[in-house]
Parts: sequence; C-alpha cells; structure tokens
Amino acid sequence: MTDTPNDPKASGWYGEKYSANLKKRHKSERLFRRLGLSAILIALGLLGILLFSIVGKGYTAFIQTYITLDITFSESVIDKDGTRDPVKMRSASYGNLVRDALRKEFPEVTQRRDLRALFGLVSKDATQQLRKMIAADPSLIGKTIPVRMLASDDVDMFEKGYISRDVVQDDRRVKDNELEWLDALQADGAISTHFNTRFFTGGDSREPEMAGIWGAMVGSFYTLIVTFLISFPIGVMSAIYLEEFAPKNKLTDIIEVNINNLAAVPSIVFGLLGLAIFLNVAHLPRSAPLVGGMTLALMTLPTIIIASRAAIRAVPDSIRQAALGLGASPQQAAFHHILPLAMPGILTGTIIGLSQALGETAPLLMIGMVAFIADIPGGVFDPATVMPVQIFLWADSPERAFVEKTSGAIMVLLGFLIFMNAIAVVLRKKFERRW
Amino acid sequence: MSFFPLVIVLLLMCTAGYWYGSKKALSGVRNNSTSKFITSRPHQFGIYVFIWGMIPPVLLGLIWVVMKLTAGNLDQGLVQQIENVVFPVAIMLGAGAGLYFSIGRISPDLRVRKTIETLVYGVLIIASTISILTTVGIVLSLMFETVQFFGKVPLSEFFFGLTWSPQTALRADQVGSSGAFGSIPLFLGTMLITFIAMCVAVPLGLMSAIYMTEYASDRFRAVVKPLLEILAGIPTVVYGFFAALTVGVFFRDAGDAVGIAVSSESALAAGVVMGMMIIPFVSSLSDDIIMAVPQSLRDGSYGLGATKSETVRKVILPAALPGIVGAVLLAVSRAIGETMIVVMAAGFAANLTANPLEAVTTVTVQIVGLLVGDQEFDSAKTLAAFALALVLFVVTLTLNVIALLVVRKYREKYD
Amino acid sequence: MQSLVEESAATEQQTEFNSVISAKRVNVFYGDTQALTNVDLEVPENQITSLIGPSGCGKSTFLRCLNRMNDTVDGCRVEGEILLDGVDIYGPGVDEVLLRARVGMVFQKPNPFPKSIYDNVAYGPRIHGLAANKDELDEMVLTSLEKAGLINEVQNRLHSTGTSLSGGQQQRLCIARALAVQPEIILMDEPCSALDPIATAKVEELIEELKENYSIIIVTHSMQQAARISQKTAFFHLGEVVEVGDTEKIFTSPSDERTQGYITGRFG
Repeated sequence: MTDTPNDPKASGWYGEKYSANLKKRHKSERLFRRLGLSAILIALGLLGILLFSIVGKGYTAFIQTYITLDITFSESVIDKDGTRDPVKMRSASYGNLVRDALRKEFPEVTQRRDLRALFGLVSKDATQQLRKMIAADPSLIGKTIPVRMLASDDVDMFEKGYISRDVVQDDRRVKDNELEWLDALQADGAISTHFNTRFFTGGDSREPEMAGIWGAMVGSFYTLIVTFLISFPIGVMSAIYLEEFAPKNKLTDIIEVNINNLAAVPSIVFGLLGLAIFLNVAHLPRSAPLVGGMTLALMTLPTIIIASRAAIRAVPDSIRQAALGLGASPQQAAFHHILPLAMPGILTGTIIGLSQALGETAPLLMIGMVAFIADIPGGVFDPATVMPVQIFLWADSPERAFVEKTSGAIMVLLGFLIFMNAIAVVLRKKFERRW
Repeated sequence: MSFFPLVIVLLLMCTAGYWYGSKKALSGVRNNSTSKFITSRPHQFGIYVFIWGMIPPVLLGLIWVVMKLTAGNLDQGLVQQIENVVFPVAIMLGAGAGLYFSIGRISPDLRVRKTIETLVYGVLIIASTISILTTVGIVLSLMFETVQFFGKVPLSEFFFGLTWSPQTALRADQVGSSGAFGSIPLFLGTMLITFIAMCVAVPLGLMSAIYMTEYASDRFRAVVKPLLEILAGIPTVVYGFFAALTVGVFFRDAGDAVGIAVSSESALAAGVVMGMMIIPFVSSLSDDIIMAVPQSLRDGSYGLGATKSETVRKVILPAALPGIVGAVLLAVSRAIGETMIVVMAAGFAANLTANPLEAVTTVTVQIVGLLVGDQEFDSAKTLAAFALALVLFVVTLTLNVIALLVVRKYREKYD
Repeated sequence: MQSLVEESAATEQQTEFNSVISAKRVNVFYGDTQALTNVDLEVPENQITSLIGPSGCGKSTFLRCLNRMNDTVDGCRVEGEILLDGVDIYGPGVDEVLLRARVGMVFQKPNPFPKSIYDNVAYGPRIHGLAANKDELDEMVLTSLEKAGLINEVQNRLHSTGTSLSGGQQQRLCIARALAVQPEIILMDEPCSALDPIATAKVEELIEELKENYSIIIVTHSMQQAARISQKTAFFHLGEVVEVGDTEKIFTSPSDERTQGYITGRFG
C-alpha cells in the first residue's frame, strides 16, 4: 500500500467536480448542527432561569423573623374583675400587652406617630398568640416572661435583606427611626429567625407574615379527590367501551373526534361551563371544591380517556382471544384480563391528568374559587381555594413580602407536581411490558 | 332520617340480599340433581339481587329531586315532612320489594349473566356519552348567554367596534350604562401575543426536534427530552408569575437602559413567556412528525452524498411540512386559549396597537376580568364574557379540527 | 494496483480483471453482535458483481459498508480495510459525503423524494454543485433520465411528483437520480424485490446496459437474477464470504458444499 495517498482530498481522489463547494457545505452543516443544539440549550436555559428566579425569590419564605419581648401578663389588662371568666378573658385587649412591652423597651418614644410605627414592628398575630397562651394557661397572669412573636412583614423583609439601608428614607418601607429600634433589638438579641411552620399549617391571611398554604393544600386535596372520583371511573369506562365494545359507526366516530377536540378546548371555557351549569342551573355552592372538582373532571376526562385507550390497545389481541377461547364472555375478557393488564398505563395517564388538574387555575377563577378564605375547608361543600389560585391571589397582592410567599407556594406546588410525575414514571418503568 | 344513614342502611340491606342470593343459587344447584350446570355463577346471582335492591331507591330518589327542582315553591313544612318520614319509608319499602322479587326469581335456569352484562353495557355507553354531553353543554351554555348578549348589543358593534370598555359608558346612547363592546382590540391583542409566542416557540421547538431526531445520540435524547417536557408540566400560573415579575421587569429595565419606553405589562413579556411554555408542545409534536418520515427517504438522500443538514432541509422538512403546519396550528390554538399568563402579565386596558412594547389585552383576560368578582347575571357585561368565550371556542375548535385533519392525512401518507 | 490483482488471482481461479474496490478482512459489529467476519472481496471494474446468500447473511451490511451508509446506524462499527482507488474509505481524511458521490446507491424499495421528477434527479447535482447553470442542470437531468431509460415515459410530465409513477418507473427514477451524481460505482440493494416481473425485466435490462460505464454491485435474493445479469458472484453465509468467483463457475460447479446446498435450494 505504498501508493496510498495520505490526503485523499489533495490527491484529486474525489475528482475536481465534487470538491468545489465542499468547504461551504461542511460549514453550513456545522452551522445547522449548532443551531439545533443552541435551540435546545436556549430552551433549557429559559427553564433554568425560571426555576432559578422562583427559588431565588422563594427560599426565604420558609424562614420567618421573630421578635422576642418580655411580656407582662398584667391582670389589669386581661382580667380587670379578677373573675378568671374565660369568655371575658378572651375578649380582653391583648394588643395592649405588646404595646406595653414595646413602650418599656423604648421609653424615649412618646410621639403618637412614632408609637404607631413602633407598635407596627410586631405582627398583629401577637394578639392572637397571647390570647391563646392565656386560654391554655391562666396561671400566667401577673407573670412576666419572654415571648417570641412574629415580626411584621416589613421587619421580616428588612431582616432578609430585601430592604436596603442605603435607599433614601422616603422610598424605604422601613424608616430611619424603625431602623434604630431594630438595631437596638438586634443588639439585645431579641430578633431571631426560625423555620416558618405557619407557612405549612396556616390558612390565607391579609398579613403576609401570617399567611400559610395549608388551607389551599386542603382545598386542592378535596378538589382533586372529587376530580378523581368522577373522571377516573367515567374515563376508564368510556375507554373500555370505545376500545372493546363500540361498533364502528357514526356515533363512535363522533365520540372519537369529540374527545380529541375536547382535549384541546381552552381550560377557561370549562370554567364558563361550570359557571353556567353547576352554579347557575344546578345551584351548587360557589367556591366549593365540589364544583371545582366537577369542572376539572370534565377537563381531565379526555386526557384519561386517551391514555386509557392507548393502554388498552397495547394489550395484545392474543390475551383477548385466549380468554374468549376458554368461554369467557367479552365483558369477562375485558374486565378480568384486559383491564388489569392495561391498569398501569391507565393509572399513569390518570396521574398525569390529575397533575394537570392540580396546576390548573383559569377554570377555577370562573366558579368563584378565587375568594379570600382564611379558614381551612372542612369538606367538599365548604368554600375553599386551591394552590394555583392561592399563588395567583398572592401574586396579585401589593405587599413586597407576598412575592416570597408566592414563590414559596410555587415551590411547594412544583414539589407536589414532581412527586406525582415521579410516581407516574415509576409506575410506567415498573410495569411497562413489551409484548 | 338524614341522607347518609339512609344510604348505609340501604347498602346493608342490599349486601344481605347479595349474600342470600348467592347462597340460594348455590343450594339450588346442589339440591337439584337434574341440572348440574348453571349458566351463571353464584356471585352473579348475588349481584343480580343487589341491583334489584338498588333500582327502586335510586329511581325514587331521582323522581324526588326532579319534583323538588321543577315544582318551584312548595310549602317548606310539607317538604320537610316528606323528606323526613315519607321518603325514607318509601325507599325502604321499594328496596325491600326489589330484593324480595329478585330472590323469588332465583333458579338455575335464570340467565342473570346476560341481564347483568346488558346493564353494564348500558352503563358503559352512558359513560362514553359524557364527553359528548360536555361538548353539548359547552355549546348550549355559551350560545344561550351569547344570544341574550346580542339582544342587548348589536352584532356589528361587537365584531367591528374599535373600543372595548365594558365597565364604563362612553356615550349616552349606549346600552344601560354598561359601556362599549367593540372586540377588535381584544382580537388584535390576542393575535399580537400569539404571534410573539409563535416567534419564540416555533423556531426553538422545531430546531430542538430536528436536533433530537437527526443528530442527538440516544443518551442525549434520553436526558434532554424529559428535561424539555418539564417546561410543559409547569402550571401556567407559575409562568404568569415569572412573566409579570421577572421577564416583564427585565424588558422594562432593558428598555430604560437603551432609552425605549417599554410597558411593564408589555405584550412582549407575555408573548415570550407563552412561547417558552409552548416550546415542548411544538417540539414533541414535530418530533413525532419528523420520526414518521420514512428512513428510506433519508437513505436515498445520504446515498446520493447529501450531508445531514441538506437532507433535513431539502428532503425531510419538505416531506414533513404538512404535519409541521398541523403542529403549529395546534400550538396557535393553545396560545389563543391560554389564560393565566396573560391575566398576570398582560394588561386589562384594551389598547388598539400593534406595538409589542405596549400593554395589550386579550380575549381570555377580558373573560376573567368580566366574570371574577361580584356579577349580576343578565347584565351585558357578564353576558359579553360568554360571547367572547363562544368566539374563543369556535376559533380554537376550528384550528384543532383543521390541524387534526392535516396531521391525519400526513400520517396516512407514510403509513 | 497490479500487485493486488495478482494476489487475488492466486487465491481464486477466475478471469483477470481490474479491481475498483477491494475489501480486506472486513469485520462489522452492531453493538456487541458481529455481522461480518473477515470478509475479503475484489470488485471488478465495469462488471456486475452479485452478492447472494440467505437472508441475514450480511450481504446488505457489506454493501452498505462500501459507501459508508452504515455510518448512519447507531452503534455500528467497521474494522478492516476497504480500498477504493487504493484509498481506505474508512481512513482519516475521507469525507463520506464525497465518497457517496463516487459510490452511488439504489435501495430495495423505490424511494423517490416527494418532489417532482425533475427535482428528484436534479437533487444530486444541486447539492454537489455539479451544474454551473440552469441549462447544464436541465441537460444533466435529461441525460440521466435517458440513461435510465425513463425519458420517453416522463418527458411530458417532468414536473409531476415522483411518487405518481409506477413502482418500476420509480425504481428507474431512483437509478436516474443516482446516475445524475456521475458515480463510478453503483450499489444496488435488492433493487427488484419490490417490483413485478415485467418491471423487473426492464430494470435488469437497464442494469446490464449500465455496466458499460459503471461498476455495479448488486445484492439479490434471486439466484436466477444473479445468474442472468452478473459476471461475478460472491456467496455470503453467516457473515462470511464462502465463495467468490465467476458467476458461471459458482452456479455450475461450486467448490464449497454450502454454496452447492444454497444454489440447489437445500437451504436459504
């Protein structure tokens, strides 16, 4: 092989005619390839920015600033008559206890306006907290003990570094005098940050520092239960009928086309359907998980039907014929053999459908699940809100502190979605069968 | 007797009927030496009895609900009386009669399997018509309100009017004090945002799909495809938040930096984020469609000495074009119907503009704006939302039908 | 080149020829499975070489090695040397795009692009930049169609789509498409297996005419076809070349009993 040229291009091995525009062709090939790769990278980059911005804004929602003050549970405020009557004690003005404590801490503050600012450092929640303490243990009356109380949202934002000292006072939510007090409290070690349990256990609130998503989580849970109970049986039955029993006729064709189109109807239209039928015709309660669940069920139905049909179709005909050959009726073949084999696929599709329903907002706005509800719903008839709607409501609130709460709630919602999709993936991996 | 105890008692009665029915069927066969073979299995007899026990109460319940709904104003006391005393008794009697009748009929020759299967078949059919009923429900409820709306506002104003301000009256001669209902600004706003979204989603989605199908290794595909799908799984409210607080602010600040006034609720921000949401939609649809182009065409092109990009651009894309057009139409219909992103990131004010840096509003934003909060029904304001929704429904439906037809035709070509 | 010819002439008793492609100890793997084992083959110039053997014996795999079509298959690995004009086509510096321009290919199923007949044939010249202007391109398209014997049938509908032709016409269109790139060697992978007997006859006739100017390697499952058109035949079995020689000799007095078994129809 001594006559083998080292470079086939140079030796004219290809002949002149092909090599002329070769460089250009390879250049455009490389360019095209890079274009494709950068499209993917841009898409992933956008995803990264989205997640990064949510986490960056939201991780602080899981910690909260507290102020510890020596509270004197003076009898004169709580129980003037000394009767220890629980009803009377409950209606006492516990806010005064906090105010007294703050006055004691900062005796130099006397101006009415300054006092109001000073009292504003501690959250309104303190009143509730002290009332509960007394209700649980009346013997505290007359004692002075340090109590850890929620700081107001502005203090919280300042402590987390969202409010800068360097800004001119007029543009700053925390004024100069407040800064002084906070520094003094800080020096005393009275300001501390802790894990924000209330965020996971409380209902909604107008005050950002008191707001929690437990109410929305319970609402989402009830709504999804209703959605599942309606859409799963109906979806699976439709799929069985269409795949196993339906004769090929006009009606089946219409159902088929109809399901495909329903899957692409904008979700807000389902909301209007729910408003018109469930609320205005059937007079079901507004804002209730029942109505939300029913509306979402209609929306999820096509997803479940399409996934279930695919799963049923994937079961080979030989199984069906084996069952029929042993004398099973077509229904026995379908329910005893096909359905169990198709179940993993059906469940995967159902979970994906439900996770869509969990993230859905627009139709629920239409049926009034957008109201401010501070209580934790106790059932499917109680007024409730759901997680995505809670996110929407908080995102709409002007307070700076709600931005982190919104991001925090988004992280929780995404956590649930990831969990549900992970189950779907595991189901698919574990039970996937190749026929 | 209240509702839940009644149901529990009923279920207990029927369960007892099930148990007794199964037993009777079994013993019937054992004692009867002439017919060893029964056409149905014992538990099917049980189910048969159970069903017979449930039918009368369910029917009675339905009749009562319908009567209560239709009979308008009944005497409350009478209703209470009936609900507390007459109704439970009637239901118990009905259930008892059903059970007694069916148990009496049990004999080895009774073909209960057939009966049960007919019933199941009926239930299956009813279940599969729910989806049709949903569509009918959508159309009817939208139509009903829309017709009322056009009784108050002329068609021409709605479809050709250039001002949209449903909350306040602009001129004295307008209906009630409800305002102007010219929907052109909404449609233009919707189209503008959709167009921006497509400008983001189509090139990125299509190029990703091409890279995934033609260039990427299996390992790359296995990692990146699910990552891209995450984009599709993120709730729209999250995108809305992102658009309003991050992207919108970014565009505004960037505009300030170069001296261009950009609204913080610009169509651009909403459109870009919406496009981002639609990327995986376009890419997975195009992925399927490009995969459906037969390998033989690729071979033919490579065999002639074409490079990959030449094969993609000159053979695969032209062959896949109808399918890709279908995919884009589906994506457009998605974008038109998208609500939360625009509600949170686009404005409520109906500006008639084609400038992507200004705030525009969309059909879905207005539907939400008109229906959220306290509504008086029958006001032109509320009805307008239904008219808008009907237009939205018709447009998206048309796009879908066309897209599905195009894609189906395309698939048939290569199957 | 001369040394090569002598070498192969020494191992196999056959007619003297100039070799255009010589494969030496070619091994092909798909992932972990070996599809070809130590294949040695000399392909004569301006003749038809047919590769026969039972299905799955590796004849198509070998054919696809000759213009590196296997590069497009994930996990495919080729070892050994395949020399074209003395250059190893798997060596560094060889551009598979240009290689395929020299070594054209026609596939089992006719695969015209969903474009017009004209564009189908013009595709190759366009991508390789062979025509300086529209007139030259027209000329090339017409010549190629003429060489493929299709010109009379499609003259009046050059701009209707290629898929509207009949199966046999489509296959001849694919041949015309390959010819338009002006290759020296044409690989054909069971080109007639999807065609009816009349179309097959036409394509066979065309292949025989083409050997005047081109070296042709054809994979076929039909022994009659191999006997009818080829001058040289290689018998593949289980990924190995069992026997190579003049077609006449292979079909009349094969030296290997596996060849004997195959051509008499005992297996395959």
